[in-house]
Amino acid sequence: MKYFLYWGCSLEGTGANFLVSLKPVSEALGMEFEEIEDWNCCGASVSYAGANDLAIKVLNARNLAVAEAEAGYDIVAPCSSCYVQMIKVNREIQEDPDLLKDVNSCLAEGGLKYNGSINVRHIQDVLYNDVGVDKIKQAVVKPLSGLKVAGYVGCQSVRPYGEYDSVNKPKVQDRLLEALGAEAVPFPSKIKCCGSGIFLPEMNYCMELVKNILEDATKHGGQLISTVCPMCAMNLEMYQERINKAYGTDFDVPIVYLTQLMAVAFGMDMKKDAALNYNIIPPEGVLKAAIG
Amino acid sequence: METMINYDPTFAEEVFQNVDAGEEIKMCMNCGVCAGSCPLRHEMDYPPRQIFSLIRSGKRDEVLNSKSIMLCTSCYTCVVKCPRSIPVMDVMHGLAHYAIKQGILTRKLTASFGGEFWNQVYRLGRVDEKDLPRRVFFSQGLVEGIKSMLGFMDIGIRLMLHRRMKLLPEKKIKGIESMRKMLDKAEKLGKGGTVA
Repeated sequence: MKYFLYWGCSLEGTGANFLVSLKPVSEALGMEFEEIEDWNCCGASVSYAGANDLAIKVLNARNLAVAEAEAGYDIVAPCSSCYVQMIKVNREIQEDPDLLKDVNSCLAEGGLKYNGSINVRHIQDVLYNDVGVDKIKQAVVKPLSGLKVAGYVGCQSVRPYGEYDSVNKPKVQDRLLEALGAEAVPFPSKIKCCGSGIFLPEMNYCMELVKNILEDATKHGGQLISTVCPMCAMNLEMYQERINKAYGTDFDVPIVYLTQLMAVAFGMDMKKDAALNYNIIPPEGVLKAAIG
Repeated sequence: METMINYDPTFAEEVFQNVDAGEEIKMCMNCGVCAGSCPLRHEMDYPPRQIFSLIRSGKRDEVLNSKSIMLCTSCYTCVVKCPRSIPVMDVMHGLAHYAIKQGILTRKLTASFGGEFWNQVYRLGRVDEKDLPRRVFFSQGLVEGIKSMLGFMDIGIRLMLHRRMKLLPEKKIKGIESMRKMLDKAEKLGKGGTVA
């Protein structure tokens, strides 16, 4: 199983625990990754302030064109924002020959051409559909027994296309959590928005969104919240103190990447592989209690 | 309220011509599902449905000065829910881009955040997560910049201590010059800038 891994800018910084844990986990599951040569940023969800729509499309098409020319493997994006930007551009190009022509006339300025042959996939899609729940279960040596996890799917990992999971009632992340031996608690806010890219500049408005998500997760018994998006992880984890101050709450919920939980359940090193020491709110306590 | 206003197609034409995804509003039947599904609807002056009505009634200033068009979290809920398959989010982004290009900065910090984000992409080909907030904060003036930096120092230090901050400055990608040529052409070829 060979793929291009497009990890994006955040996974080298604020989302580093995602990338560090993804590598040993995917290796254990027989996935091989290559990097797209000299890749560029996807533009995330806020670039429209500075760029028109075609420029953002061309930005993403550059990565697609390079991947197509190099090897044509499916591109796997762990970051939900990278995923949605890239799959959106790819779908629109594939459905509209006129757009492909415009995009290619821009790519030609740098000697590139895209034919529309690449598939863009989310990491949850690949884990669920290519690797499969059975293979993941086989890799588990320390099941997360009794651990109650609120699986936070967020927005951009399933919407708008629902390529691999329901846009209204996603279940893939819960099935993956269960494969690790954890209990996926009911969590109606699992697809509610955290504020995403405008959380920082619009914090006064977005804190309430995060408060509601944390409240829902803990109310349903979640001991920790799992996520597959660096923006969700950042917004849910970093501002709990501020939220407690503003709303008189007492949240102290660890926010972990799905791949960190996988590394723990696969019996890997808590620091080197699961990167738990990267987390600001420590998840070690509940995890050690679960694996015994 | 807006049903009492007469239709005036002038601004709608401007939107169709110049705003990315602007023509999509032709399909709107004003059902309000977009407004009902939006996470920040309660902070908006006009929910998306009303923005579309205002466009049809020629209310240029109300639309372009509305804070709603700047408050999209890009969650795609409205896109999924719209019964007429209008990419509402894309229209809001298109309007925000158009308003900013006309120099209208209803949400200064958000406009600066998105604008700086794009500047970094254009300058480096990548985004430097530690440099971005600094530039955004200081775009609000020196005093505001220092205040905001101090206010976020706790978060910065924690991220650094937990190895979640790339310490070295982000380097330009190798193909930066050719990437910029591609983007320059796209800016010329695409919509979103000129006033009709």
